[in-house]
Amino acid sequence: MLHAPIDPVTLAVPFFILAIILEIALARLGWVKTHYEPRDTLTSLAMGLGRGIPGVLLGGMIFAVTVVVYNHRIFTVPFGAVWGWVAIFFLEDLTYYGFHRFSHERRFWWAAHVNHHSSQHYNLSTALRQTWTGGIAGTWCLWLPLAWLGFSPAQIAIQQGISLVYQFWIHTEAVGRMPTWFEAVMNTPSHHRVHHARNPRYLDSNYAGILIIWDKLFGTFQPELDEEPCRYGIVKNLGDFNILRVAFHEWIGMFADISQAKSLREVLGYVIGPPGWSPDGSRDTSASLKARWRALQAPAE
Amino acid sequence: MLLLAAIAAWAHLAKPMPPLDGAEARRRLADEFPGKALDCMWISDDGRGAVARSGGLALILYAVGDGYVARDLPWDQVAASPVQDGCLALKLHDMAAPRAKLAFATWPLN
Repeated sequence: MLHAPIDPVTLAVPFFILAIILEIALARLGWVKTHYEPRDTLTSLAMGLGRGIPGVLLGGMIFAVTVVVYNHRIFTVPFGAVWGWVAIFFLEDLTYYGFHRFSHERRFWWAAHVNHHSSQHYNLSTALRQTWTGGIAGTWCLWLPLAWLGFSPAQIAIQQGISLVYQFWIHTEAVGRMPTWFEAVMNTPSHHRVHHARNPRYLDSNYAGILIIWDKLFGTFQPELDEEPCRYGIVKNLGDFNILRVAFHEWIGMFADISQAKSLREVLGYVIGPPGWSPDGSRDTSASLKARWRALQAPAE
Repeated sequence: MLLLAAIAAWAHLAKPMPPLDGAEARRRLADEFPGKALDCMWISDDGRGAVARSGGLALILYAVGDGYVARDLPWDQVAASPVQDGCLALKLHDMAAPRAKLAFATWPLN
């Protein structure tokens, strides 16, 4: 099967809207902790809505490439087989982990992903602050091996949708901690709050989609600590709510840096180095921020 | 989309933003610029921003919505920046935040 018979994300849109209204209502009643700033909310929702435009423009090309790879598959996974869905659940989630880590640790892909982190708020509307430039950045290529293994494009698309829908509900401060067994295995609001935090201690951690086990396996897990509340946003927060700035500021900054580069090494550093890389090391990267934070902690420990 | 934003506005759930005082400005600057010693600090007239001097750097903090944005610039550039309509206008040379305006009727301050 090539075309997905259902789109989990489209089916979930009414749930997204109702959940945001519910979160606002509960916060208004004082029953849960959350903050909404209207311009921030509008920006997040507009980014979510606008995501459909590049999706239409590039979706066909991405689908065609996936079909070509699927036509050269080494196995065939039956669409209706339970074991196939179990397998793709784990393999897609592992792929997502890789994509997400890549998107944080290399500037070219960070340029496409940064907008999702650009809000200083962490509420359900933040979940909808999606990239407009992911297709151009080419991160969808990371899912092609699944097609080569024999998972149909439809099955891949459905599992990607399930992952995206799952990740919606974890963008909230309204939920504290889930039961211990759940926190141990699944990505949760607590784990994902850490991922969205800009505190040096929390940078570049918890890349999970559905299962937090990948972070524990690959050494990127960081639990949320009561003594260090999350401060949300990016290391250098945006100066306004301009949606074009949200979508494109890192791309423009990257190309401006490339135009000033004096060697191929500098070009490569600006494109595939970590965000914040500079030839003389004068700018901050996650690694340098974490190192400075550790150095400041050391005398106290 | 507009309806959801309107509901968010109606609910008045923005973070409280009381005018900065010295302690709060120092706390926020310490979060933004860990390890930087502050030689001196000025809070803007409306309490929605602050400028601190740390050696040759100016550490700038200003409110956007219900959050704060921070940047650093060479002190000399900030000291020489103009005041326009009661605001210190700073060019930040950053696509993510091109300019900042802080309410200072006069600048530089002693």
